[in-house]
Amino acid sequence: MTSSVSNSLREYARGLAGGLMFSLPLLYTMEVWWAGFVAEPMRLLVYIVTVFLLLLGYNHYAGLHHDHCWSEVVIDSVEEMGLGLLLAAVMLFLLGQIELDHNAYEIVGKVTIEAMTVAIGISVGTSQLGSSEEGSKAAAEASAKSEVNFTGQAVIAMCGAVLFAANVAPTEEIIMIATESHIAKLVGIALLSLALTAMILYYIEFTGSRRLTRRDGVLSVIVGTVISYAVALVVSAAMLWFLGRFDEPALLTCVSQIVILGLAATLGASAGRLLLQ
Amino acid sequence: MNKKIHKNWLEWTVFGVSAVLIATVIGFLVFESATIGDALPDIQLHTGTPEARTGYFAVPLEVTNKGDQTAEGVHIEVVLRSGGKEERADLEIAFLPRRGAREAWVTFKADPRQGTLETRVLGYEKP
Repeated sequence: MTSSVSNSLREYARGLAGGLMFSLPLLYTMEVWWAGFVAEPMRLLVYIVTVFLLLLGYNHYAGLHHDHCWSEVVIDSVEEMGLGLLLAAVMLFLLGQIELDHNAYEIVGKVTIEAMTVAIGISVGTSQLGSSEEGSKAAAEASAKSEVNFTGQAVIAMCGAVLFAANVAPTEEIIMIATESHIAKLVGIALLSLALTAMILYYIEFTGSRRLTRRDGVLSVIVGTVISYAVALVVSAAMLWFLGRFDEPALLTCVSQIVILGLAATLGASAGRLLLQ
Repeated sequence: MNKKIHKNWLEWTVFGVSAVLIATVIGFLVFESATIGDALPDIQLHTGTPEARTGYFAVPLEVTNKGDQTAEGVHIEVVLRSGGKEERADLEIAFLPRRGAREAWVTFKADPRQGTLETRVLGYEKP
């Protein structure tokens, strides 16, 4: 069915609201602007491709159009990324961070780096911020279709982790904490992350946790927790690499940063995952 | 297998604009990564015409980075020599992107038009 223009306009507006909601902290962070022109073009390209794959995954598993075929998922993802670029450009212009006399690489770099989280926000906003009857129908449909689809859950967990971790990943504080903190405290952070993940997924009756987690015995709790945390660590590592935080070779500092950012990422991979579908 | 896709004109427009935007960005980045070298930051300074302000003189400064790498914390010194006296001014630019430029001003009490200006980059770091 072709939807009416006013309906699709509303859907885009919803996406834009979501995009801003999830990425505003990043648009207001100067480390992100700097990362935009410090990063080499190759890194930005890798980032764009990665985010596009995430968008494809998210739209496929949690997207609005449940009667989708792949071409529709691709079209949605292209639209979200395009709107992300536009919205990021407009916001950065209003915030005075891109001027017409800046060189092209600086403008493209800043816009691209901001646009990627905006795009994920738009994707989440479009599918999550809808009217309740539409939403519950889609949710019921989704739960009927894919009880606990492992790949789907992993992709949504990744999106959640990116959205949460992106807010702190670019800040100087991560590297500061990493260089100053004692190993015992890092272990403490890792344990806390695991405990939080287990609690959110299996104990505190978080929205959707019954529907979206497998609960048959202690083993499934341990497996589920470990997988969520692993997703969080992978996402942390990828973001830190992208931001050039691994360019110095000290292994301990790299690992520390991953663990420290992992706490934010694991909240996204557990709570975020449950909320984003 | 392939269902027919139904979209209204607005959706096709958004899709078209998005596709063009993404293609442009990717094309630009591919072009940049193919042409970019790894020349270290090469910072050049150009002073403009000094302007009188209330109680001091301002000299516009254009700082350009001709290199392929970004420089952080670019520290610049400008020395004014006039009538046997020296006056120093300095400024720091947080980031100077690769092949990017920034505008700045340094100020002096003496009139720079009566003397000679000497500019130099004191130092910068890798971001």
